[in-house]
Amino acid sequence: MSVLWPSLPYLLRGAASTVVLALAVLAVGSALGLALGLLRVVPWRVAAGAVGWAVEVVRAVPLLLLLFFVFFGLPALGVRIPTFPAAVLAMSLWMAANTAEVVRGGVQSIPRGQYEAARSLGLGWLRTLRFVILPQAMRRMLPPFVGLCTILVKDTSLAAIIGVFELTRAAQETIERTLRSFEIYGAAAVIYFALCFPLTRLAARLELRLGRP
Amino acid sequence: MTPAPAYTFEWAAVWRGLPYLLQGAGLTIVISAVAMALAAALGLALAVATQTGGRIVRSAVDAYVELFRNTPLLIQIFIVYFGLPQLGVRLSPFLSGLSALVLYAAAYNAEIFRAGLEAVPRGQHEAAQSCGLSPAQALRFVIVPQALRIAFPALGNNLVSLVKNSSLVSTIGMVELMFVANDISFNNFRTFEIYGTTAVLYVMLVLALTRVLHAAEMRMARVAS
Repeated sequence: MSVLWPSLPYLLRGAASTVVLALAVLAVGSALGLALGLLRVVPWRVAAGAVGWAVEVVRAVPLLLLLFFVFFGLPALGVRIPTFPAAVLAMSLWMAANTAEVVRGGVQSIPRGQYEAARSLGLGWLRTLRFVILPQAMRRMLPPFVGLCTILVKDTSLAAIIGVFELTRAAQETIERTLRSFEIYGAAAVIYFALCFPLTRLAARLELRLGRP
Repeated sequence: MTPAPAYTFEWAAVWRGLPYLLQGAGLTIVISAVAMALAAALGLALAVATQTGGRIVRSAVDAYVELFRNTPLLIQIFIVYFGLPQLGVRLSPFLSGLSALVLYAAAYNAEIFRAGLEAVPRGQHEAAQSCGLSPAQALRFVIVPQALRIAFPALGNNLVSLVKNSSLVSTIGMVELMFVANDISFNNFRTFEIYGTTAVLYVMLVLALTRVLHAAEMRMARVAS
């Protein structure tokens, strides 16, 4: 255990990088995901269909493979991306596809009658979406979206495999010096838990408060 | 900056690697199926324990579920494979990867089964009891079968996640589709083609699985009504 205290500052620096990585992916991925999710519910059939397929394909591929594809596969085509942006790019694609699914689920859970009522009041489809459907759908989207953020924080650990410095990478480097895998990975697990558990509780609480109409 | 030379695709590399990739996909299917079977059994046992056991049992199961759901699977795999030998428990890559996948998926399954058990109406317990069934018999013949049906869609989603998550065990040298893809592309450097083909295999696997699960769900709903 004595190895733990001297290593802790380094692990916490890793944790800070994990938070930065997660926030970067959150910003890029959820903005893109919101746009894609809305494209699936607008009355443009072709766009909705194409986005639907893209989302389904990205969601079917393991995140580790997306990371390897961006970091090892794209350089073959002459597109060479450093580790951190590569991780942000791959994970943002993953985040966008899953956010789009949350948005679609939220919008489609609003009863048909709400559309019909808004349209018969003379609102166009854009205003119906903006003023009637989205405000209601947001409440339903929030709990699964917070759950998605928990998964995102956990999955940033995969970035360590392509060499991004974050918590898991910091733990690996510490173990290379100290050879105490059990304690160091255990400490990393505790730090991840401290980041994720509040999010899990928040999602559960939101589900109770907002999930039911 | 000089423009990069145009890339020449070499699909022959994919053709040569395809038999190995397909074997890897087969292993991914086997590993996922075995892990899911074990994780379903463990998850059901934990869920039943929370319903029938006392406060201590419930807290212990809660702690297990929260711990494994709120830490990365990758860290769990590393603790089993790199950390446990320090305590004298030395497992092969296969057993390490499998046990980490089972423990992780079982934590989710326990929550799914618990929700399923709680969704069975109270009247079913009372009816079973008044038919003269013991609490164990009521659970075995009346409550659990209904809970399984309620839990089925969520279990299916967890199985799909497991197929994708099983790619992580490649990091400790357990052979499956992702491991084979890395192995081939690090040898012939046709990373774009090999990872692209691997992605296609995963998409085919996951889409086929979701279709089968959906069909099974529809069938169950028909039989039930």
